[in-house]
Amino acid sequence: MLMLKLLQAAASGVVTGCIYAMIALSVVIIYKATEIVNFAGGELVMVGAWLGLLLVGYFGLPRPVMLLAVPVVLFVLGAAFDRLALGRIARRRPSRRLEHATLVVATIGLSNLLKGAVRGIPYTQEVRRLPPLIGGAPIFVGDVVLERQDLAIVALAAVVMLALWAFFRYTLPGKALRATSQNARAAALVGIPVAGMRMSVWGLAASLSGLAGVMLAPKLLLTPDMGDVVTLAFAAAIIGGFTSLPGCVVGGAILGIMQNLVGTFIAPQAIAVTPFFVIMLVLLLRPQGLFGDTVGVRRV
Amino acid sequence: MLLSPLLAWVVPEYLLYIGNVLMMDAMLALGLDVLLGWSGQFAFAHIAFFGIGIYGTALLDMRAGVPFLLGMPLSALLAAAIGFVIALAAIRLRDVYLALATFAFALSMQWLIRTWDSLTGGPDGLRIAAPALFGIVVGTDRRAFVPMAMLLASMLAAMLHLTRSVLGRSLAAIRDSEHAAAASGIDVRRSKIAAFTISAFCAGVAGGSYTLFGSFIHPDDLGIWQLVQVLTMIVVGGSGSIGGVLLGVGLIGVLPELLRLAPAQWLVWQELAYGLILMLTVMFLPLGLRSVLRRNLRTTVPPRTRRGTPTMEHTAP
Repeated sequence: MLMLKLLQAAASGVVTGCIYAMIALSVVIIYKATEIVNFAGGELVMVGAWLGLLLVGYFGLPRPVMLLAVPVVLFVLGAAFDRLALGRIARRRPSRRLEHATLVVATIGLSNLLKGAVRGIPYTQEVRRLPPLIGGAPIFVGDVVLERQDLAIVALAAVVMLALWAFFRYTLPGKALRATSQNARAAALVGIPVAGMRMSVWGLAASLSGLAGVMLAPKLLLTPDMGDVVTLAFAAAIIGGFTSLPGCVVGGAILGIMQNLVGTFIAPQAIAVTPFFVIMLVLLLRPQGLFGDTVGVRRV
Repeated sequence: MLLSPLLAWVVPEYLLYIGNVLMMDAMLALGLDVLLGWSGQFAFAHIAFFGIGIYGTALLDMRAGVPFLLGMPLSALLAAAIGFVIALAAIRLRDVYLALATFAFALSMQWLIRTWDSLTGGPDGLRIAAPALFGIVVGTDRRAFVPMAMLLASMLAAMLHLTRSVLGRSLAAIRDSEHAAAASGIDVRRSKIAAFTISAFCAGVAGGSYTLFGSFIHPDDLGIWQLVQVLTMIVVGGSGSIGGVLLGVGLIGVLPELLRLAPAQWLVWQELAYGLILMLTVMFLPLGLRSVLRRNLRTTVPPRTRRGTPTMEHTAP
């Protein structure tokens, strides 16, 4: 019985962990490229979820179309935010130290802007739920119950992550992005359009968040506040070291499983506080996480 | 300050309420600016220290019979002590970790207040009993106005002193360039920890002051959204200067009251408005409204007379 409970908790933990990992990836690629913690990451998830619901539930589009449309729209949104707001601030440069705080404040502004905009739309006044991505009876593996939809989520997340990995590893734009993250000035010297790269990182990150939103939406009730999930992504990213993409995936899985175990074996209300404790403990005991760069060194 | 007893006597209660809220916001914002504007540190824990101030002062008074004049400083010291510990752990790391550790701390403190309901009243909130000052029960906006003004005045005096102190100048140097500051012999780590502790203390005082006129507190009032409101005040007015922060508090602090006069269906757009104000300000006025006023002052006032206004740019060594 205990074994079954453990397995079941691990199985559902992996599913939610995949979603956390996607959001964490979105936060980390922005951090790697621009050293900004994107506090609007959760709101991009929320916008993706509502957009998915709007397209499927209101306009009646088929789901594959929605799965393509959401990342595209979010890409434009993310790129536009970088271009219109962040690019402008970076060009003005009041002072270097102040600039960083200012850019973070801009993402907090975006977070409130998106939350407020969604809250203002009458369609969101009612609590809604996205219909499952795939219907059908659950599958039994031994005694562990697996929902078809959960399998779809894991499969989709795996495809996205593999695609992302291949993109960064094998394609020219992906390599250019990595070069920009490592050293923007050197990248500019070899002819990489750094501003454009930053914009595409923001676009890419927003699409990832949007997709995560679509994956999360059937499992949660949709509210304008569902962006709070970003805390879990921060925790996942910190477990992984905050600069490592595989770290996000491992961190997401660890966190998802841990939450389920805490919910099953300790207390349901302790689930909410798990990510906060994880963040603080990891930062205290092993700030570089599992795979992160050494910390404490700051570039001049 | 000198006018405050007079104001407290003649002005209607509702305006006094707004005045009290603004004075509390000012204390909260000045404290946050020590971190954000003076030393360039980004920290979210401020709202948690504010909560420690409120709940600490109120619970000490109601459960243990500790009077306000002792309970408020004790709560502020508790906030400062926790701030010191957090700073000690997080300050040696990159900025991002301080932001994230304090973010997690703020949320877990909110969770603790909500969950520990035998002590704090939990999700039902806490009804605050009116504290007594020298045997006089305060509780109303009229009676709280003078003590609030005195608290704010002492904090302003302390801040003005701080801007000119070694610590204030060290922090300004650190904000401009950490390496240059370290190279010229400033103990960066110690200054940052001091800034964090002072900032937490200010938030604790601001929280304690709320019990003078507020009668109810709920864990939902201590979330990230409330921090964003304080942040908006600082950013709009101009971070890194006392005048700028006060300007921002005055402008943004009255916004909820103005919205109250607006039609009820506008309220839903409040969050959007704050987000928009924040983004537009950092985009077009990265140094806040203060910079506009200054630019205009510069053209009209001869430079010599401006020496009296201490801002961090002038005091930077």
